[in-house]
Amino acid sequence: MARRVSWFAWIWFIVGCLYFILPLWGTFVFSLQKQRGTLSVAAYISAFADPKFGETFLFSNIMAVCTIIASLLLIVPTAYWVHLRMPKWRPLVEFVTLMPFVIPAIVLVFGFIKLYSKPITVFGIPIFPSLTESEFSTNILLVAGYTVLSLPYMYRAVDNGLRAMDVGTLTEAAQSLGAGWGTILWRVIIPNLRTALLSGALLTFAIVVGELTIATFLARPAFGPYLALLGNHKAYEPAALAIVSFGLTWVALGIINWITRGSRGGVVTGAR
Amino acid sequence: MAFLELSNVRKVFPNAQTAAVENFNLDVAPGDFVSFLGPSGCGKTTTLRMIAGFETPTTGRIVMDGKDITDMRPNQRNIGMVFQSYALFPNMTVADNIGFGLSVAGTPKPAIKQRVTEMLALIKLEQLGVRYPYQLSGGQQQRVALARALAIRPKLLLLDEPLSALDAKIRVSLRNEIRAIQRQLGITTVYVTHDQEEALSLSDRVVVMNQGVIEQAGPPFEIYNFPKSAFVASFVGTLNLLAAEVADPAAGALLVDGQSIYAPAALEGRQRGDKVQIALRPELLSPDCTGRDDENQISGIVDNVAFLGAIVRIHVRIGDASLLVDEFNNPHLAVPAIGDRIALYFQRENCLVIN
Repeated sequence: MARRVSWFAWIWFIVGCLYFILPLWGTFVFSLQKQRGTLSVAAYISAFADPKFGETFLFSNIMAVCTIIASLLLIVPTAYWVHLRMPKWRPLVEFVTLMPFVIPAIVLVFGFIKLYSKPITVFGIPIFPSLTESEFSTNILLVAGYTVLSLPYMYRAVDNGLRAMDVGTLTEAAQSLGAGWGTILWRVIIPNLRTALLSGALLTFAIVVGELTIATFLARPAFGPYLALLGNHKAYEPAALAIVSFGLTWVALGIINWITRGSRGGVVTGAR
Repeated sequence: MAFLELSNVRKVFPNAQTAAVENFNLDVAPGDFVSFLGPSGCGKTTTLRMIAGFETPTTGRIVMDGKDITDMRPNQRNIGMVFQSYALFPNMTVADNIGFGLSVAGTPKPAIKQRVTEMLALIKLEQLGVRYPYQLSGGQQQRVALARALAIRPKLLLLDEPLSALDAKIRVSLRNEIRAIQRQLGITTVYVTHDQEEALSLSDRVVVMNQGVIEQAGPPFEIYNFPKSAFVASFVGTLNLLAAEVADPAAGALLVDGQSIYAPAALEGRQRGDKVQIALRPELLSPDCTGRDDENQISGIVDNVAFLGAIVRIHVRIGDASLLVDEFNNPHLAVPAIGDRIALYFQRENCLVIN
């Protein structure tokens, strides 16, 4: 027999939905009012026609892809090793990955600038160059910052994926068949983490594309600062782009939901 | 010459008070099927994992086919292993699972395909090569795990309680299949189990372990009929234990609940009045007298009679102890009634005296 939901719960559900939907609806309606007296997509056309929109959006997408790659290269082997050989260190690693929630992005970016704007020297000998003297090196710094920001999400996704499989036994089975670490990671562990990796990647994408603080202080032509700048001298276009951003984020979350629904992923059968 | 030698192997885990495995010495002949049998925590899986390379002995050596493998990495030992949880790779089909070890070794694809076909035929799952592990039953998964371990033509096969996750009927049929395949291939095999029926029915030799040490190693017949310690006697098979008092050490005479019985030989090192235990297998007790000179007799009251199918188990109370007597079932068997006084007979040689 289906469980009945009380009217009280329905009221709070509707209130919650209104709390989130009404501001969005207001923004959307506002974005359609660029032409006085009529609703139109003029603000959207104007926003997309701006060459800066294309440049910054493309730049942020490239940075997002680089961040995803950097995160995967850092987090997947780390999480795997912690699960396999250092399970007692898991609470500490989890604590470290939660630090980006505690440390504001502005503190992070000022730390980067302080540390990397000059060459790092030992006894006067430069061992690491400055990373703020060229666009390329500053982009590296930007990706590093984004990697830190996305750490909680990517690590959590990978960690959950590893918990769903018997990492130790699968590793030992692969070793008994002659596989080395690279083969084990590439052919056994990562394929069974596909769903988790995709979830982490899409979350990282959503975070990077809309990020403002780090990109602003590193003076990079990213989408977040462009949106903020646009908001300083235009009214309707920022609203239009905000709706587009929300739409992209929801698409990303929708893809995650669709991929993870009914996934048989890394479930290992049999007794432990 | 032994194919597998474990010499003075000892394993102490970090921060552990006692050794998980202590002074383990064992030689395994080529083609032998050896079982490690014992209760949980006795060190049998730890020993197996040291052979596989997943644990490193604290001291001692492991030599396989004349080569010291003690410190060798697991992926270099050419040992096939079957795990309790099957450990099939969920992202690969049955065929890919079986061919995994060969592809890692760089075997050409046609050769892999042929070997996979051979293995599927060996485990009688020819039609299931394209399926994924989640689409198979437990028994099928374990057969695939076995095929995967054998596909690489290992020098040694290790099985870590491979049947414990399966129901009883499948366990029996699959263990027979495993043994048949092992005989067919002639591969040296080490099998870990806590199920004595499995160990006794499958093995050329059984190694009974307790608290990290070997209690006894030998053929199943010897382990069951001539246990060397109280632990082996009670762990392997059902055993009756009765409290007894030494009456005449020279004659081997004992008193059980005031009744006189005789041990197989003189009770050396004992004195009159010493308290000992005697162990008797249920199937070696009988309500029928043979009339032989070396036959003991002991009487008690029937407490319960249980029909176990092929066996009728009679519970007999003797003093404070309860004895189990197993008789083969047949329609003409004279089954005693509860409360009846019953005389039980057994040969002197079947009476095991324990400290």
